[in-house]
Amino acid sequence: MSTPQEPVETTPATGENKTPVVRWVRTPPIDIFETEQGLMLRADLPGVTTEGLELQIQDNRLTLFGRPSVSIPEVESLVHQEFESADFLRSFILSDDVDHEGITAKLQHGVLEVLLPRTSRAQPRKIEVQSG
Amino acid sequence: MALFRWGSAFDAFRDLEREMDRWIRRLDMAAGSRSGRVFPALNLYELEDEYLLVGELPGVEIQDLDVSVAGGQLQLSGERRLSDDVNDDKYRRRERSRGAWERHIQLPPRVQEDQIRAELVQGILKLHLPKMPNAEPRKISIQDASSSQLSLPGGSE
Repeated sequence: MSTPQEPVETTPATGENKTPVVRWVRTPPIDIFETEQGLMLRADLPGVTTEGLELQIQDNRLTLFGRPSVSIPEVESLVHQEFESADFLRSFILSDDVDHEGITAKLQHGVLEVLLPRTSRAQPRKIEVQSG
Repeated sequence: MALFRWGSAFDAFRDLEREMDRWIRRLDMAAGSRSGRVFPALNLYELEDEYLLVGELPGVEIQDLDVSVAGGQLQLSGERRLSDDVNDDKYRRRERSRGAWERHIQLPPRVQEDQIRAELVQGILKLHLPKMPNAEPRKISIQDASSSQLSLPGGSE
């Protein structure tokens, strides 16, 4: 069984159509594994809801952007810090054997799950051999 | 825990600071350093009436989480299971923390342990640690020593 090639990570595009307010971004940790349908990508996006999530495919680039909506006090009141309350951003170049139209995603408990299905032509196809 | 010691007012402040530093350091120690990423990552905020401990627990549901408090120590523990059914050899990337985790946090001084409230929303844990109300200054009565039999040295009528 063939599975699509692992998406190649790229440096996210910045500067275009972005609000002038400077906000920090951070890279969310991800898992990618093979399934029967294709590849499954999971990303930890704590505090992000569907309203704050943007999942975009342009050409063959998949970009995920998440803005946490869970309110957290101002930085001034921080006494101890282990994480930045920043937006999440990560992007990938998808291989040609990913069916772009068939990509589905869901978000639950701060975890994004993106299914990158294999195109039908990448499915194993049995070739009949005729005896002659 | 002595927050105030006899001495000048400045000393009392310094003691308080020292105490704060100490528990912040303990928080650092508890974080462990097995990997670059600590799970769960915790931020602590000090607000007017409470401390707020915020933890990032993506994918963790209430039944997978255990929070307990005793003797000024807060214990957070749980297990993060990520796709039990997926074979190791199916993974192309594996960056997310997994498995059992546990964190111990020394509570800040003057927290009302029995009033701690927790909520878990979208993978963000919030623990509200209310501060004890400021103690009213207590007046210490001074007894009039002149009525006693005490005689002061060199004291003559």
